[in-house]
Amino acid sequence: MISRPIKEGFRGVGRHWGMALSSAIAVTITLTIISIFLVFSWHLRVFTKNIEYSMKIAVIVDEKYENEAAEEKIRSQIEQVEGVKAVEFSSKEAEFQYYLDQYDDAAMREVMAPFGDDNPMNDAFYVEVEDGDLIEVISSQIREIDGVEKVDYGGQTTVDVVSAMETIRRVGVIFVAALSILAIFLIQNTIKLTISARQDEITIMRNVGATNGFIRAPFVWEGMIIGFLGSLLPIALTIWGYMALYQHTQGIVFSALFNLEKPIPFSLYISGILALIGIVVGYIGSWLSVTKYLRWKR
Amino acid sequence: MIECTHVYKKYKNGTNALYDINISVEQGEFIYIIGPTGSGKSTLIKLLDGEEVPTKGVVKVVGIDVGSLRASQVPIYRRNIGVVFQDYRLLPTKTVFENITYALEVIKMKKPQVRARAKEVMGVVGLGEKGNAFPHELSGGQQQRVAIARAIANRPKVLIADEPTGNLDPGKSDEIMALLERINKRYGTTILMVTHDLTLVNKHRKRTVVLEHGHIVADLAEGGYVRHDQ
Repeated sequence: MISRPIKEGFRGVGRHWGMALSSAIAVTITLTIISIFLVFSWHLRVFTKNIEYSMKIAVIVDEKYENEAAEEKIRSQIEQVEGVKAVEFSSKEAEFQYYLDQYDDAAMREVMAPFGDDNPMNDAFYVEVEDGDLIEVISSQIREIDGVEKVDYGGQTTVDVVSAMETIRRVGVIFVAALSILAIFLIQNTIKLTISARQDEITIMRNVGATNGFIRAPFVWEGMIIGFLGSLLPIALTIWGYMALYQHTQGIVFSALFNLEKPIPFSLYISGILALIGIVVGYIGSWLSVTKYLRWKR
Repeated sequence: MIECTHVYKKYKNGTNALYDINISVEQGEFIYIIGPTGSGKSTLIKLLDGEEVPTKGVVKVVGIDVGSLRASQVPIYRRNIGVVFQDYRLLPTKTVFENITYALEVIKMKKPQVRARAKEVMGVVGLGEKGNAFPHELSGGQQQRVAIARAIANRPKVLIADEPTGNLDPGKSDEIMALLERINKRYGTTILMVTHDLTLVNKHRKRTVVLEHGHIVADLAEGGYVRHDQ
């Protein structure tokens, strides 16, 4: 008997296809916007993580402490700071080489190379942190360690960028939530219209002895089917649009830090989320409107 | 089968619809309730099918105190009675066959039995060939037959008919009457029929209760009715 409401639900969509279509379009429009926001805020999160991940603290060792014993001590002290994930040593020679490598121009590199004989660089440690938000606190703690000449973490700007992106992402999540609620209202209203047009039907169903649950079930299924149908176009747009975006950008925006997720499975995940939102929104919307109509009736 | 004892009904807006109604209907009886518009006929039907609750008094149908039922119990109660309306009240988006099966699915009857019973009652009302038609494709008389088929499908002990011939011409009205009489005789179904069609009442004579301004003014066991102002 479970299949009855499902069958009735499909039949309801077929026989009231005008109403079903207008409800589905309401869902389609909202889900399309939700999809864009989902893709956007998902990537903001990925980008933020990437930046956070690539944010390392450069700890420059004082010349006077450039010996194995002292450096080992510094390393262990850094490792003890809370929030530190990994510490990597870089010798002054490696530092100089890295400095040289910054020049694209081979001629420039040749001019600069002789300075390596009297290496102006110091030994250094590169510290990875567990959470980008903590970078400032950790830096100031490392600065206090004996033998540390200078601590550098890309400056306040980086921290600001990360926190700004985090804020945008949070606003995005709130926006998606708000849009979902809007979609529920839209579908609730259209289904309410369908139901008031079908008030007589419900009265008749009650006349022949149908319980509220028996009357409600097909309407709720109808709502879920409409919600799902409404999600199909946004799903197609998401898959197609994201593939196109990925191909156009080769998966990279601005720099390697901002790389896009692979279209498969990413666009499929988003599609799943959209279908789920559509179905849930249809369920809640139709349940609310039928229940409102069924209450307080004998 | 139907027992109304000192039943009063006053609506929330202050309208007094029924005063001290006492009716007792035996099993297998066929009874008319007649009266002009506003006499309380519709209210009586609403009390009988559980849509309204009496202000005072007791309404008992098939032994159930209808007025004391909770809202959630009303649909269950309605499975004991069949109701036929003047405007047929068929589900417009369902076929004749589906309209009848709906009433049987509601009582959770098994699928093969549902089909068999639906076919059987379609035969009883003479619409065996119209199973796939939608209500709007049928004439008024045919639609009323479907409504009757639906009402008797789950073998109710009581059939309440609210002006079942109200929208039909005399010829079709006679056919519906003949059908109701057949059901009454063949299945022993108690039938309470509300009407203001005096021609019909005088032609097919049965016990007749006359309502006026909410009062029972006559209960004629021999049937037939002569207006008292004539």
